[in-house]
Amino acid sequence: MFFLYDLERTITLHPYYFGPHMREYLINKLLTDVEGTCTGRYYIICVLDAYNISMGKILPGSGLAEFTISYRAVVWRPFKGETVDGVVTAVSKLGFFANVGPLPVFVSTHLIPADVKFDPTANPPQFSDNEGQVIEKGAHVRLKLVGTRSDVGKMSAIGSIKEDYLGCL
Amino acid sequence: MSNIRDANLHSDEEDDDDFGEEEEDPRPEKRQKRAPSDDEDDEEDDEEDAPKSSGRGKSRNKSNGANEDDEIEDLEDEDDDEDEDDDDDDDDEGPRRRRGQRRAHNPFLDTMAEVDEDDEVDDEDDEEMEADFIAPGDDDDALRHRAGDDRLHRQLDRQNQADFAEDLEKVAAEMRDRHGGRRGHRLGDASTVTPKRLLLPSVNDPSIWGVKCKPGKEKEAVFTIMKKVQDMKGTRNALNIISVLERGQSMQGFIYVEARRQADVLNALTNIPNVYARSGMILVPVDEMPDLLRVQKKAEIMPGTFVRFKRGKYQGDLAQVVDVEQSGQILNIRAVPRIDYGARDDGTDPTGKRKRAVGAVRPPQRLFSEAEARKYHERDLTSTRRGIFTFQGETYEGGYLVKDVRVTALQLENVNPKLEEVTKFASTGDGNESLDLQALSQSLKASTDKYAPYQPGDMVEVYSGEQAGMVGKVTRVRADIVSMNVQEGPLKGKDIDVPFKGLRKRFKEGDHVKVMGGSRYRDEVGMVVKIVDDRVTFLSDLSMGEITVFSRDLREASDSGGMGTAAGKYDLWDLIQLNATTVACIIKIDRESLKVLDQEGATRTILPSQVAAKIPPRRKDAVATDRNGSDIRVEDTVKEIAGGENRSGVIHHLYRGFAFIHSKELQGETGGIFVARTNNLATMIAKGGRVASSGPDLSKMPEMSKKPGGNMAPPIIPRQGGRDRIIGQTVHVRQGPYKGLLGIVKDATDTTARIELHSKNKTITIEKMKLGFKEGATGRILSYAEFVQPKKGFGDRSGSSTSYGSGNSSAGGSSWSGGRTPAGSSAWAGSRTPAGAHGGGGGGARTPAWAGGAGDGGRTPAWASGSKTPAYGANDGSRTSDPYRDGSRTSNPYRDGSRTSDPYRGDNDGSRTSYGQPVGASGGRTPAWNPGNRTPHYGSGEPGPRDSGTAWDSGSKTPARSLSSVNDQWNDSYGNNSSTTARTPAGYNATSPEFSGGYTAATPGASGLSAPTPGGLSAPTPPVSAPTPRANAWDAPTPGGPTTAATPGASGGDNRRYYDAPTPQAGGYSSAKTPGAWGNDDEDDAPGYN
Repeated sequence: MFFLYDLERTITLHPYYFGPHMREYLINKLLTDVEGTCTGRYYIICVLDAYNISMGKILPGSGLAEFTISYRAVVWRPFKGETVDGVVTAVSKLGFFANVGPLPVFVSTHLIPADVKFDPTANPPQFSDNEGQVIEKGAHVRLKLVGTRSDVGKMSAIGSIKEDYLGCL
Repeated sequence: MSNIRDANLHSDEEDDDDFGEEEEDPRPEKRQKRAPSDDEDDEEDDEEDAPKSSGRGKSRNKSNGANEDDEIEDLEDEDDDEDEDDDDDDDDEGPRRRRGQRRAHNPFLDTMAEVDEDDEVDDEDDEEMEADFIAPGDDDDALRHRAGDDRLHRQLDRQNQADFAEDLEKVAAEMRDRHGGRRGHRLGDASTVTPKRLLLPSVNDPSIWGVKCKPGKEKEAVFTIMKKVQDMKGTRNALNIISVLERGQSMQGFIYVEARRQADVLNALTNIPNVYARSGMILVPVDEMPDLLRVQKKAEIMPGTFVRFKRGKYQGDLAQVVDVEQSGQILNIRAVPRIDYGARDDGTDPTGKRKRAVGAVRPPQRLFSEAEARKYHERDLTSTRRGIFTFQGETYEGGYLVKDVRVTALQLENVNPKLEEVTKFASTGDGNESLDLQALSQSLKASTDKYAPYQPGDMVEVYSGEQAGMVGKVTRVRADIVSMNVQEGPLKGKDIDVPFKGLRKRFKEGDHVKVMGGSRYRDEVGMVVKIVDDRVTFLSDLSMGEITVFSRDLREASDSGGMGTAAGKYDLWDLIQLNATTVACIIKIDRESLKVLDQEGATRTILPSQVAAKIPPRRKDAVATDRNGSDIRVEDTVKEIAGGENRSGVIHHLYRGFAFIHSKELQGETGGIFVARTNNLATMIAKGGRVASSGPDLSKMPEMSKKPGGNMAPPIIPRQGGRDRIIGQTVHVRQGPYKGLLGIVKDATDTTARIELHSKNKTITIEKMKLGFKEGATGRILSYAEFVQPKKGFGDRSGSSTSYGSGNSSAGGSSWSGGRTPAGSSAWAGSRTPAGAHGGGGGGARTPAWAGGAGDGGRTPAWASGSKTPAYGANDGSRTSDPYRDGSRTSNPYRDGSRTSDPYRGDNDGSRTSYGQPVGASGGRTPAWNPGNRTPHYGSGEPGPRDSGTAWDSGSKTPARSLSSVNDQWNDSYGNNSSTTARTPAGYNATSPEFSGGYTAATPGASGLSAPTPGGLSAPTPPVSAPTPRANAWDAPTPGGPTTAATPGASGGDNRRYYDAPTPQAGGYSSAKTPGAWGNDDEDDAPGYN
């Protein structure tokens, strides 16, 4: 689910960059640092604006200045039970992997309807129910997240297509 | 039924008595003591017999005749036996008689008078035996009678049967009624559950006494008592006990009697064999009573359980129970066969006897192979169904041996199947089964868990019992009772107690779980994908493989799975060093082992102890080059484009030319990791589109705007030829563990020196840069660099100037400088060198001289030669040395000279420096120097000679003079600065110039002295044709040595003389062509000198 979060970030600046373009530098730095990253709980998709940049504070000892930037960002946080669309990235006999945006999701064979079977002989390997539903690399699937897992800086999830209206799109 | 039991008991008794007899034998006294009681026993027995027979009489009415007979016989037997027992007891005093003997005793022969008592007994025996004898030989009447009996019996039987058949239905109904009713009743009971603890015995309940008995006889004693109870029932003496029990396994040597009063127990146990009631009874405390009755459950045999063969070919092998026969005595098991297909015979030799497999090698465990069996023993092979074969009398199914085996031939407990063994059984099914077999067997084996399977906070579900279906959260665990707070249903919010049994943990799909105990998957962490009953399948976070374990072994994982393994130091995908040449990436971590993929692409399983080192993650900027020449770094996505299978993935590690790459598509044994050479890879996506998108690093100054500079590279010390000058020096260690110590340099390489320490009997190798050299004159400590390349000081300059600069710096020299060397060189070069070398000829001499260090010798010649112009030349060569050696030799003069002018020293130093330098080189310089030095000297010398030593001594000054004098002369010829040069000092500087000039003229002039030499040398040739040549000649050799004579002359002269000569020569020089004069002069001079 997407959210608009108010977030903060602290950025330090070398004295070399002190000057009229300081703000630019900071914003730039913020964007490169933050956009597209994962905190472990959600993905920061895009920074809308930095609505407040604090006064810089010189760090004793180093001469760097520290700024705290408050910004608003669009984040995506996957939830257990959320239904999402993804693109299949890999298929193996244990199930398939799909990418839901930045989130890798594994769908185990246990969570695939029984009539959708793994076909190792197909090229590329695929899950298929022989009725037009073919899940192979690159296929678009709708799935439901049944569990998410957070790590430092990354997330993963397992999904299910064993429910109505889920599966190949 | 009772008969059978009696008979059994009886025979047991008899056997046991035999045994007991022998056992008790060594204690005759005791026996004797007991003898009276035995008698009592006898009496009692008799008493007992009466009611028994009466009781039996009753039963006789009910049962048919045949049975009766048997029964009677039994009874009789019993009595007999009892008597016999008594006999045996009594016999102890007399000679021992075997029962067999007694049996063989002929009743009709009165063989011997025995002890009276025995006789009586024997008589009894005999009577019995007679009866025995007679019994089989019934007379005809009896037979007839019997036949009639039979008829009657049969009639009765038929009657009974008919009745029975009629009643069958009725009986069935009755039975149904009775049992059905009972069941209902029971259920009713269960529904009005009495809490277990209310059923526990209290002080108001009868007590239990433990009574000692003979170990091993517990059961028997209990039966005896039971019999006694039955017998006494309804009589006056009915036993007033409630129950008797024994715990043969756990409490050997005790039986337990439940009764109200101790007296009842005593009464009941009186005369029961093997029970020692009088030796003390133990009252079992009330709270221990339940324990007494607790039954230790035996390992339950269920299909799937693992067992081991106790004996036979498969001894020790693991087998899996496929089925259990109803009796429970025979198990249908499955094992990995050990077949020797090649064996020619089938285990029997030609005689048909079974061969003993002595020393036979046990064939290895291998699944049954149809092909092999067919190959060797086609006849023995039959196939019933697909995949099922009969081969040599055994059945093989799916490759496994399937067999019915008696339970006794199997080891059921402590099987401890090993993983390898279990895996042999795991390959059935779809091959994908990752069911945790070990956990299975363990869970069956040990219900006593070493760890508490439930912990507060666990979600649990009751799956059996009246509370089935209840879901709650564990709040407390006590022994095997769990208190849980119900979370769902009508009881929500209530706390209930539930025993472990019937409880299981509850998980939901998507839960993040960790394997806790007992299983080989311990510490795996993953997400639940499937739950069937209490089996939970989850997807491991590490291997991305699916694992099935029991829910009891799982816990919800709060964290993202740190592996608390023995291999805890290592993480998945760490790069480790296996040995000097091999690195590997960890692809799986087990509890005790690591599975790694090495750089060659091979996987192996190692112990953590085999890891030499963990290679810390490289800096993120470690860069390798891919096939296209682009940079690839860790975390880039790359694709194999050559030599591989077009795999792609994200780089985890770069090590030398190898990249360890993780690919999601590749699962399987390496967990998606593969290794590739970086030059077979091509970048697909660089991480974060590395393309400078990141902008400047705002926490650092941009590199460009940094000023160049900073640390300078350490000075490069030009390598110098020849013996390292530092060898033999006494040095200080200025850094490192030996800092401050003093030592002598024993050997040296370009960068290091071996130093023999003064303080410690040790020779260390240390970098030269860490050494301090004491400067001889000032005591200053010099660094190596300073030591090797003396500071630009006077001497230095002079030195340098001498050599090269000399010319430059010194004006005069300029022309020369270049000239000099060149001069010397150009024309001379050859010559010069020679000159230097000049030493050449002479040089040869000189050099050696040098080498000789004896200066004298060397020089001498040099000198000799040198003395004259050659001397110079010599000087060249010698010069180098000269200054010094000369100094030494000529010492006075020279030294004086040197001394005289401090600068000289400097020079000397310089010269020295030059010294070190190869002759040739020095040749160049040296001369300059020497000239400088000498020149004066010479100059002086020249004059000196005349003046003799004195003049010399004044050397320094002399030069001036000499110079002048010489100069004049020289000047004449060359006409250079000579005069100027005269000033020694000046001369010095001048020297060079002079030199330069000198060469031309300078030399001569110059320095006459200084220059001369060089000049002389080099120059000599040209300009100073005379001198030089001579000199040369001297060295001659080189020059062409016109004046061989000279040389000879010189040489001819004693070294000393030479030396001396030199001076003289010098003189000669100055004067004129020394050479010529030389020889003569020498002598003259020499004397003069001396």
